[in-house]
Amino acid sequence: MIEVNYQDPRAIYEQLVDKYEILIATGVFKKDERLPSVRSIASKLSVNPNTVQKAFSILEDNGYIYSVKGKGSFVAEPSSLRKDRIRKWQETLSDLIAEAIKLGFSREDCINEVATIYDKEGRKK
Amino acid sequence: MIEIKNLCKSYNGVMALNNVTMDINDDDIFGLIGTNGAGKSTLLRIISGVIKQDSGEVLVDGESVFENPSAKEKLCFISDSDMFPQNSTPASMSEICRAVYKDFDQTRFEFMSNKLGMGKNSNIRNYSKGMKRQLKLLLALSSGAKYILCDEAFDGLDPVIRQTVKSIMAEEVYDRKIVPVIASHNLREIEDISGRIGLLHKGSVLLSEQLEDIKFQSQKFQVVLQDVSQEATISSLIHPISIDRSGSLFTVIARGQRDGIKKAVNSLDPVFFEFLPLTLEEIFITETEACGYDLRKIFA
Repeated sequence: MIEVNYQDPRAIYEQLVDKYEILIATGVFKKDERLPSVRSIASKLSVNPNTVQKAFSILEDNGYIYSVKGKGSFVAEPSSLRKDRIRKWQETLSDLIAEAIKLGFSREDCINEVATIYDKEGRKK
Repeated sequence: MIEIKNLCKSYNGVMALNNVTMDINDDDIFGLIGTNGAGKSTLLRIISGVIKQDSGEVLVDGESVFENPSAKEKLCFISDSDMFPQNSTPASMSEICRAVYKDFDQTRFEFMSNKLGMGKNSNIRNYSKGMKRQLKLLLALSSGAKYILCDEAFDGLDPVIRQTVKSIMAEEVYDRKIVPVIASHNLREIEDISGRIGLLHKGSVLLSEQLEDIKFQSQKFQVVLQDVSQEATISSLIHPISIDRSGSLFTVIARGQRDGIKKAVNSLDPVFFEFLPLTLEEIFITETEACGYDLRKIFA
């Protein structure tokens, strides 16, 4: 489910934060569900446990997960995470649209393009 | 924690280590990198007490290592060279290790060597290079030692074994708080698993820091300036470590934090400006180049 991409320029902990955010925001991990342990993730991905710990600390600082001493980390109420992810998505989208404008796309072109992609992706689901 | 203070060592008048000072902290994986002949192996051999330094000291959890069995028990050195005595077998090697390491985990060693298809009484002489390396790593990981010093121990392992060894190390770091010290030229691998890096060149330490901090303090970016003559201005603004020009596109590596550099470059109102990720390989090359290690000049 989680993989580390060695071609990705981002640090491994950033990739982990991103992947877990998506998994929580999209409801793969439900509220109050226990996340895999730091040890098992580190072992499975062959990465430094400190890296996984760092990713978990960031998720916890942002309020997306909470930890119970001796029991592990659990998924917190996901609504704020969903809001944050939507904001991030909007930022990415506005970068892409700015680029489309530079490439000479009209408003119409952009909307058509988005509609086509939406239909295509929607069909996969 | 391993404290290395003002360490010097020379072989027949050739300086191998020149005033090396660095700390290897607990709870982390330490990556030791450096140019060929920089002194990596010498440093590891001194830390493990195989050879004696000319001056300076190495303290392992506060104790000096040389000829001190109780401190040595905390260390396991996986040498780059062949270390097996003649006609030794996995069984005889584990017996030697048991004599040195009180906490040697025999059950675990037998379980793992069995899994890797090493017969208990098979002669190591007939092993391939890769299998010998596997056996060394197995002995080290079963030794119960806190500090595992690996001199290019991953080089020459196939990808499956490599992943497995890294997984076992990750578990051991978590469970037993072992401290692997890994010398390697595989920078991508070091970058992935180490928290802290030591960079050696010609017997001296160029860097010894958290990898995150190193990356935080150096930036790589590409910029297209309105006028090529602005190159001089940019150099005076940010003092780049390296600047490479192709046409009107400059690729620059500079020390400093992202915000400061962004501000300085944007003040020139560039046509195009973008930060690029900085890899450990680039840090390695720029840092050693800054010390005059640039072989392209020799061959040019």
